Amino acid sequence: MIWLIGEFRKHDELADAIRDLRGSGFTAEDIEVFSEEPVELRKGVLDRPSKMSLTAVLSAMAFGSLATWFVYYAQNDYRLRSGGMPYFSFWSTGVITYETTMLGAILAIFGAFLWESRLFRRRHPHAPIPECPPNSMCLRVHCAKIDAEIGASKMREHGAVEVKQCD
Amino acid sequence: MAARAPETLSYGQIREDLFRPLSPFNSKWIFTCLAAFVFVVLGLVAWGFQLHDGMGITGLKRPIFWGFYVIDFVFWIGISHAGTLISAILRLTDAQWRKPITRAAEAITVFALMIGGLFPIIHLGRAWLFYWLIPVPNGRLLWPNFRSPLVWDLTAILTYVTGSVIYLYLPLIPDVAQLAKVNQTWRKKIYRLLSLGWSGSDTEWHALERAMKLMACVILAVAISVHTIVAWDFAMAISPMWHSTIFGPYFVVGAIFSGIAALMVVMSVIRRVMHLERYLTWRHFNNLALLLLLMSLLWLYFTASEHLTVWYGNEPSEMGVFGARVRGPYAPYFWAMVILNFVVPFILLGIRKLRTFTTATIASVCVLIGMWLERYLIVVATLGNPRLSSAHAVYAPTWIELAITAATFAAMVLLYMIFAKMFPIIAVWEFKPHPHEDD
Repeated sequence: MIWLIGEFRKHDELADAIRDLRGSGFTAEDIEVFSEEPVELRKGVLDRPSKMSLTAVLSAMAFGSLATWFVYYAQNDYRLRSGGMPYFSFWSTGVITYETTMLGAILAIFGAFLWESRLFRRRHPHAPIPECPPNSMCLRVHCAKIDAEIGASKMREHGAVEVKQCD
Repeated sequence: MAARAPETLSYGQIREDLFRPLSPFNSKWIFTCLAAFVFVVLGLVAWGFQLHDGMGITGLKRPIFWGFYVIDFVFWIGISHAGTLISAILRLTDAQWRKPITRAAEAITVFALMIGGLFPIIHLGRAWLFYWLIPVPNGRLLWPNFRSPLVWDLTAILTYVTGSVIYLYLPLIPDVAQLAKVNQTWRKKIYRLLSLGWSGSDTEWHALERAMKLMACVILAVAISVHTIVAWDFAMAISPMWHSTIFGPYFVVGAIFSGIAALMVVMSVIRRVMHLERYLTWRHFNNLALLLLLMSLLWLYFTASEHLTVWYGNEPSEMGVFGARVRGPYAPYFWAMVILNFVVPFILLGIRKLRTFTTATIASVCVLIGMWLERYLIVVATLGNPRLSSAHAVYAPTWIELAITAATFAAMVLLYMIFAKMFPIIAVWEFKPHPHEDD
């Protein structure tokens, strides 16, 4: 397996190259775009599905429920004279439930960011990272040696300024 | 020749301009840091005396058990709203002019929270027992009282600190990765560690943008709740002029008000000291000045509502506090607060011809002083005028409270200076309009 790195100056050319490469059998997993600012591509070109929102909601619910259960348990663990006040109060526990729900969401978002960005679980830890010049975008394609020529020609065809091959 | 608009500059130029202030420490920076450090040490010495001799050496005496410490706590938590609220609101509304100011604001939030969060511990007296607030069963098998607003505070502030640190850190990653590439000093290792191996791939950018959007939503809800809970520390007590249903929103408005003022003061200083005139332009100051003016009007509305209903109700104990505030011993503070929070900003920022960099900064400093006075009046006037008229008292802080208060301001300066020397105070990668954005 080898790496192809193509440098593009225009968004449209980059998007066309990705579309063409995917049409030729390269998967989204094989393709990555590198740039010094976020690159916005149209839907369907190189989607990166995310479960960050869902993770945040589920984690928020879990944290909130656990905190509420914990407060209930703690307030009933050792009964004190409370002057007629309930041991477990919905209203005052509401504040703690709310805050821990939010804490759950915050931690989940951070965790999901680390997971989805692949910062700690790189698919190919030794893959070459393109040195992308300012105002350009680099397309990195992972492919078999046999497909390298097709990949490189597709990139050149769509306006790649330079295409490099790395082992 | 007119200077080019920063948005049209290349990333290389922007990076050069914004990374330049991080270059080696100069004598002015070292001197200011040392001066701030001396004040911090003095504050620590004062705290040491308080720990050794007990709370008796402060001015906190019956019935005024909440003094400077609680005032400072509310003040700093209020300042912390600069970052999260302003940055999150502007991010969610996609206001493009926010870009050069968000990081400065988010850093204020983190440092103000760190400082504000110390005050409940200082105020405990026996600070080493702070862990009693944490829900672990102690030697007597008792859990904390979850109905206490102090436990609410702990939960809220922990959530807010966690969220604010992540909210500051996430957009810092791409810039830190760039710094790890270009920096050749001892900091390189720190930058590399903090960048988590960021390479600028689309997977990373997607995850970052998604995380920032979600964090903006969550942090906004947390920030509002935190200051509401701080307000409930007062409003849950059946004390005159505290037990009010509008205290939550009143405090939130006050917090945003003082947060914007703090942000403008900081921006004004970094603009001049770091020579960022090209990046922090009149447009940013003007927009923030107008926001400050709006918040001033909202603050006046809440203050008037709060005082008018008390006056109209004519309830004796409430009128005792009301009278002490508007015509009694606290009247100079009250009217100074009105002048600083409303009259000055209204004149300096409301009249277009008077609105300049200097007047906007002056108005912001006035608001900060005015908002500190507001918290002073809320805390001290009520506690000094309890329902039992024979228990009325006057609060006079000792050097201990004054030194600790001064130390917190010095700590803010110190932390901010270190941060601004370590990291770019303007987010480089966010600065230019991205392809999908319309200004």
